[in-house]
Amino acid sequence: MTQQKKKDHQETEISDSVAIKTRRDFLKNLKDVGACALVTAIASGGIMSSFLSMTDAVASAPGGSRALTKRKYRYGMVIDTRRCVGCKACMVACKVENKTPPGVSYTIVSSHALDRPDEKPVFTTKPCFHCEHPPCVDVCPVSATFKRDQDGIVVVDYDRCIGCRYCITACPYGARYFDFGENYTMTESGPFKKIPSPEYNQFRKREEGSSPIGNVRKCTFCLHFQDAEGRYDKESGRWPSCAKTCTGHAIFFGDFNDPENEVARLIRERQPIRLKEELGTQPNVYYLL
Amino acid sequence: MYVFDKKMGRRKFIKVMGASVAGAVASSALTGCVSLGSKEHSIPTNELGIKEWGREAGEWIPSCCNMCGGQSGILCHVVDGVVAKIEPNHWNPNNYSNISSDFFDGYTEEYGCKDGGALCPKGNAGIAQLYDSDRIKTPLKRTNPDRSPGADPKWQEISWDTALNEIADKLKTLYDAGEAHKLLWISEDHSFTHIQGDFCELFGTPNYSMHSNLCDVARKASFKTVLGHDRPLLDALHSKYILLFGWNPTSAIKWVHLPRIITQGIERGAKLVVVDPYLSDTAAKAQEWISLRPGTDGALALAMGHVIVKEKLYDEEFVNTWVSGFEEYSQYVADKTPQWAEQITTVPAKTIERIARELATTKPALVDVWSGPGQHTNGVQGGRAIVALNALIGTIDRPGGMVIPNKSGNKHGHVDANEQAALTGENPRFDELKKYPLGHKSGVYTRTFSNLEQGAGPYSPKMAVIVFQNPAMSVPGNLVPKALAKLETVVVIDTMLSETAMLADYVLPGTTYLERYDLNTHWVTWPVLALRQPVIKPLFGQPTEYEVVAALGRRLKLTTKDGVEFFYRGPLSGESIEHLTQWYEDYLSNELVHGAPKITLKELKTLPGAVWVDRKGTEYEKYAKEVSAPKLVGAFYDGSSMQDGTGVYDKPKDQKGKRLGTVFGGKVLKSFDTPSGKVELFAPSLAKKNDADGQPVNPLPVYEPRQWQPNKEFPLYLINWKEASHTHTRSQNNPLLLELKSDNRLVIHPDTAQSLGIGPEDDVWVESSQGKVKARVQITRRIHPEVVGAQHGFGHTALGKNAKGRGSAFGILNRCLSDPLSGQAVHKEICVRVVPV
Repeated sequence: MTQQKKKDHQETEISDSVAIKTRRDFLKNLKDVGACALVTAIASGGIMSSFLSMTDAVASAPGGSRALTKRKYRYGMVIDTRRCVGCKACMVACKVENKTPPGVSYTIVSSHALDRPDEKPVFTTKPCFHCEHPPCVDVCPVSATFKRDQDGIVVVDYDRCIGCRYCITACPYGARYFDFGENYTMTESGPFKKIPSPEYNQFRKREEGSSPIGNVRKCTFCLHFQDAEGRYDKESGRWPSCAKTCTGHAIFFGDFNDPENEVARLIRERQPIRLKEELGTQPNVYYLL
Repeated sequence: MYVFDKKMGRRKFIKVMGASVAGAVASSALTGCVSLGSKEHSIPTNELGIKEWGREAGEWIPSCCNMCGGQSGILCHVVDGVVAKIEPNHWNPNNYSNISSDFFDGYTEEYGCKDGGALCPKGNAGIAQLYDSDRIKTPLKRTNPDRSPGADPKWQEISWDTALNEIADKLKTLYDAGEAHKLLWISEDHSFTHIQGDFCELFGTPNYSMHSNLCDVARKASFKTVLGHDRPLLDALHSKYILLFGWNPTSAIKWVHLPRIITQGIERGAKLVVVDPYLSDTAAKAQEWISLRPGTDGALALAMGHVIVKEKLYDEEFVNTWVSGFEEYSQYVADKTPQWAEQITTVPAKTIERIARELATTKPALVDVWSGPGQHTNGVQGGRAIVALNALIGTIDRPGGMVIPNKSGNKHGHVDANEQAALTGENPRFDELKKYPLGHKSGVYTRTFSNLEQGAGPYSPKMAVIVFQNPAMSVPGNLVPKALAKLETVVVIDTMLSETAMLADYVLPGTTYLERYDLNTHWVTWPVLALRQPVIKPLFGQPTEYEVVAALGRRLKLTTKDGVEFFYRGPLSGESIEHLTQWYEDYLSNELVHGAPKITLKELKTLPGAVWVDRKGTEYEKYAKEVSAPKLVGAFYDGSSMQDGTGVYDKPKDQKGKRLGTVFGGKVLKSFDTPSGKVELFAPSLAKKNDADGQPVNPLPVYEPRQWQPNKEFPLYLINWKEASHTHTRSQNNPLLLELKSDNRLVIHPDTAQSLGIGPEDDVWVESSQGKVKARVQITRRIHPEVVGAQHGFGHTALGKNAKGRGSAFGILNRCLSDPLSGQAVHKEICVRVVPV
């Protein structure tokens, strides 16, 4: 479990904006006091909030010209809750695509009763938000989970993951699941058993004692559909499965770095919200209410 | 489990962070470093895996779903003989829109519709249905003569040859004795129905029945009576006011385009109003939910009509030109005031007035109704009162209204039975369908089973073949097991050992829709026909259902009037075809070549998405168009060709002539397919008829209270509904769908629960005059205080390991009864009391 140390990509690719410069200095100072001190400091809360406020200015212009990094793509979703009918087709499509076991669901449709006399519900689906500042990444003791440099997708390296589940507790959105090794009857025996999961283009066969059983699992924006350049292609079906099947056409997926992209346009023209904005996680999944 | 902002605020987050960070510190020695910096490293990919199993591996085969009757288009990824994934088919309008302009907008042959089709959860979960380990794999024969529910059938596995031979022998005994009509044949209504109908015709039984009478024949009767077509479709996308009575289209999806066209209709400015005793998931998308007592929808509609007539808000031009019986209707609704309706429905009179005005003054508007009001004894008349609102506001067959679809598709040619079969086939139907003045060809299941159980009906049937139906759970009441026990032989063809299969003498393993053919005309407003085809071979080497039918037909040597062995000779090629599948391919090809597509099965397979789509598209206001001159050559007029209202037919009426149109203003217009050629608010043709109870039928869309009303002993209404997670009683063994919804709760209003001393998650007894069922409650204000209800389909005692023992089957609290006009099973008319356990 050796890890090749890499330079902080966010540092090297950071633009010259004032806010970022401040952050660079901030990080440098923290390095001086040591990483352990850093996390302790964040845990204490005080520094965390100043850290958040510093980055707020940067990411508050999503899809605009002032992107956080020089990342090639910034993939994300805009989910229109007015279009979501709560059917849960996304959940099943995801399960069948990624061949996830019982209890592991990369997106969850929730129904929240509004505070009104008839308890009318609001539906929404909630995949991993692939946050700009993913708390799950920071707590991983073995660097198994990380935010990809080129497109911001937060991934899990099953070969490194030791199943400690810190990331599950760290994620404020409940987007991570532990694979306890349970199976549906159809994956236990019969023809379907031999179908591997396309996740990360690894096509692992589900076998007792081997990954991803015993690992933490999460939404990957179906990154196995990307081509060599990291692009998705809706027309050939190389598109996140949840968005592809959505009965209300409520899930928009795309690249926020491209101002012409539908998702960038939607957050520019509409008034989307993000969940728990106050935590400063900067989710890349927006909701239209 | 995820919780929204409320419960897990920032404070909690920090706390959680602290906890996990402590762990991180402890393990930092292991990794040497924990930092906020990038942890990026490359994750190896499996190139061989991509090649063998990736998206480009294997085949993508276009087909149609059958997880419910919606028949959405699907694309199946088949790798190494295994179905790995099912995705929506973008070329199939059913997955996108029911209006052609919307479907063709941006359509390309390469990709299909612009934004791509959709597929509901059930469609996505089809793989789990296919690979369900509880599927029946081999023919089974009962060895225990005791056929009472719960008795172990003591199944004996037998070979296909033995099974088909023994079943054919039983059939032959009936046939030879001139008792072919004593065979009851019951099937699902969207799959291989034509060949089953042909079999019954050639065998000589009039008793072919289908699922529809459990579902929506009341709606069919209501629409048919008022505007001459039994299945108009809502143009929600172009509507500005969508008023739905007792329908849950965005959840009980049925056609997967519904969530899209309804939410986008709202996005384009429509107001959605849902009338339902339960705030369904569709009502959750509505701007307004109108809660009312079950079965009182007709009263609400009449009061709305009262307001619209009184305030002269109706579409005068449409009413004057195209509506018949407006005077009679106006007189009838004169005293059906909002105050009158408030007493019946509990909907405030002021709300009724407001909704009526909104409906009549917002254009275009539409009013649709499905099984909520329909599955009541007063469902047909209530439905007529609701449909009548469409006539008043004049949006029938207009953009944004209720569109009459052109359902041209494959053509099922009539088969002529030989002399003997024709003779037995002339016996009356055992379900006495003729007694139902607005009955549907699907028959009357409740009558079939109650007649059987009571020894009533015109004769005593001896044998039943039940294909992919589970009447033991789906027919209201609890007498199906007793009824089936009266038969000498019961054959069930199904993929699962359903409650009904457990009562059978023979069970044949059926196929799922992924293993067989079908032609699907679609639930859109213009002609579309899509292919269902086997994407893999039947898993257990079993013949498909149509092959079983043909194999039995061959064993019985069934012939047509001309002495042709029907199940050998390819109807298109005219040649004898030994191979059963090839014979059926020829059968389907024949229906295509002689139908609207005019192409062969082989050609259909090569079309994008295996869908034939008529490019002419949706036509509106067809009723006002002239019938083309060539069609009128040799036409038959039932009066003067210059007299307004004269009906025009292709053949004389007594020779089953099809109505072409009606004379108006000296021209033959397509008009409405009613006796007057107009939309009928008053139907004189009904005045001459009696219903199945012998009562005269009222030609007006009258409100009469449903038969079963709450009383002191059983004070609550019990209703049921469908949701996106399951189909009827057949999907509850599917583990992917059980993860969405694992049981059904009895939904009860908090005030009602409190008055009964019932708390959250409590177990209760739900009791009616017919029996009692245990259930767990869910307390919510989403339901009318006088009503309790639940999702239908749970409470299995069979079907499979996953399904057994989940939730409650409330159907047994009902009577085995249909509405006396259409033969619709009245699932929603039950009165109960709820008692804490």
